[in-house]
Amino acid sequence: MPDPYCDHWRTPKAIAVAIALLLGTSGLADEALEKPNFSGVWQVLNTANYNIEAHMAQASMQLIDGPFGPLPARELVPLGAVGAVPSGLGVVEGGPLPYQDWALARRDEHRANWLDRDPEIKCFLPGVPRATYMPLPFQIFHGDSAILIAYEYAGATRNIPFEDPGEPPADSWMGQSWARWEDDVLVVTTTGQNDQTWFDRSGNFHSEQMTVVERIRRIGPHHLDYQAEIRDEAVFTRAWTMRMTLYERIGADAQLGQFKCVEFVEELLYGHLRKAPVSDASVQQQP
Amino acid sequence: MKLVKWIGILLGGLLLFAVLGYGFLEATKQVEATTPEDWAAPRTSFGHPSLEGVWSSASLTSLERLLPLPFNKLTLNKLEAGAIERGVRGFFEGEQAPSDPDAPAPEAGDDVGGYNTFWIDPGERLMVVKGTIRSSIVVHPSNGMVPYRDEARALLDDYISGVAGEHARLDGPEQRPLGERCIIGFGSTGGPPMLPVLYNNHYQFVQTPDHVAILVEMNHDARIVRLDAEHLPGHVTPWLGDSIGRWDGDTLIVETTNFHPGQSFRLAIRHQLYMSPQAKVTERFTRVAPQEILYEFTVEDETAYTEPWMGEMTLRKTNDPIYEYACHEGNYSLPGILAGARYEERKAEAPSTPQGTG
Repeated sequence: MPDPYCDHWRTPKAIAVAIALLLGTSGLADEALEKPNFSGVWQVLNTANYNIEAHMAQASMQLIDGPFGPLPARELVPLGAVGAVPSGLGVVEGGPLPYQDWALARRDEHRANWLDRDPEIKCFLPGVPRATYMPLPFQIFHGDSAILIAYEYAGATRNIPFEDPGEPPADSWMGQSWARWEDDVLVVTTTGQNDQTWFDRSGNFHSEQMTVVERIRRIGPHHLDYQAEIRDEAVFTRAWTMRMTLYERIGADAQLGQFKCVEFVEELLYGHLRKAPVSDASVQQQP
Repeated sequence: MKLVKWIGILLGGLLLFAVLGYGFLEATKQVEATTPEDWAAPRTSFGHPSLEGVWSSASLTSLERLLPLPFNKLTLNKLEAGAIERGVRGFFEGEQAPSDPDAPAPEAGDDVGGYNTFWIDPGERLMVVKGTIRSSIVVHPSNGMVPYRDEARALLDDYISGVAGEHARLDGPEQRPLGERCIIGFGSTGGPPMLPVLYNNHYQFVQTPDHVAILVEMNHDARIVRLDAEHLPGHVTPWLGDSIGRWDGDTLIVETTNFHPGQSFRLAIRHQLYMSPQAKVTERFTRVAPQEILYEFTVEDETAYTEPWMGEMTLRKTNDPIYEYACHEGNYSLPGILAGARYEERKAEAPSTPQGTG
């Protein structure tokens, strides 16, 4: 029985090189043999999805003023400790997010209205880079012709070719990505995202003009260094970067589950339209 | 557009065929082979047969054989197929003509349809499989029909009757088909078996030494096939089931069980299929030509069918990328359907207004 914890990550590459020498390959397949391969099930171990910036633990994602300090918003009180927010050192490099003044005010407004506004609550597709640091794993299928990333959250996917497909024909939730190599660093450029996704539960946001440049590099048999540079002149005063480590799930744990949450939010979104409503918690969607 | 209309299109094609005359029926049933004799299936960098790329199943060929005699047969000759395809093309050309700005408003209560043809992409040709033009995807039983047990057929008929019309089930979102709810795509597009629907019939295959991932365009679902692996425990029932696979020569064999109980009724305009959660689907993918994957499948389900049934399809390569099929994020239809039902109920309950006062 193979030991899943051994340092075996170079073995498939060595076998592949040997096969390729025997069979002869060309083009993308050649490059696939020369470059690192990131196939596997990966996950972050951080609290960036709560807040990409450094933050203290707090009672709730949405707070109101109480008589002696902040309290959870009324709707969140029943969650108790489960609704509390764990602390985190943040993943943003180089200080606070460089928002333009109007954008910082918008972010704070988002934060005060988290329950109504966070697209994650409605199970909307997470966008890039938030998909990476949702608290659920994702699986990279690093093929010869393309990379496919399947995210457990919402069944989101990204198909990433190794050639620039040109201008995105339309904005979308996960945008349009393509990959190239800079030495052993996989550089993925994503454009064409709409402005409906957030960076985290804390209301940090972007415009539809955002370009995300992810740089992914192997730093160990089961670890990747992940950086995402955010360029969005409509919202920020300069480009900025977030950085974190991706951890590989190994052994029996290296299998993606399914979290298709659309069905889980039907009561929230459509409950008031039932013939016999069962709760008063559903929301009226604004088209 | 309704199923009835599709059948109408096909029958229109047959009428045209009848005009052309039955005497040409002896035209060959075989179509030209597209594969060079010295062609060998390509290999991935790690030596597996390569299915990588984007593939389309868009085709006029239906799941079941719906055509009447004498066309109720698996393979059609070029003349027969051409007549059907011309009939469909003519219909599309008519639908795409400029709108008449002087057309009157529809009568109150008229069915104005769901789509115009700009939005649909069901293909323009009948499917060519193993060198023959096919009238149906089902190849076994020989009548081209899914061999339902009576009780399974009754379940499916009952479900279909509850989708629209006077018996429509509209009390809550859970009663609506999965495609309307944006949980997975319409019908059996994600499968398995993966069957053609009215639009967005693309699949992207990406391979690694221990997995084959199939990105299903509608709704951005990744089918993750674990190679040489064991099935999940029986009570774990994901959407699209649990798929494991192995290579047999140049053929990828995928076995899927553990179907989600909510996926039993697979409704699309192009097909309506019932499979119980106990079903087992075995798929065989073989790259038979540079531009073609032969896709064969067997569906076993003793509770639903009198015998296993089999289908054959061709997936054709395309150089176009797959774009995002986001559904839930813009789902105005489902709340519209439910709100419409509530409106009708309120209207029915409201005391009638005396004429002339209102």
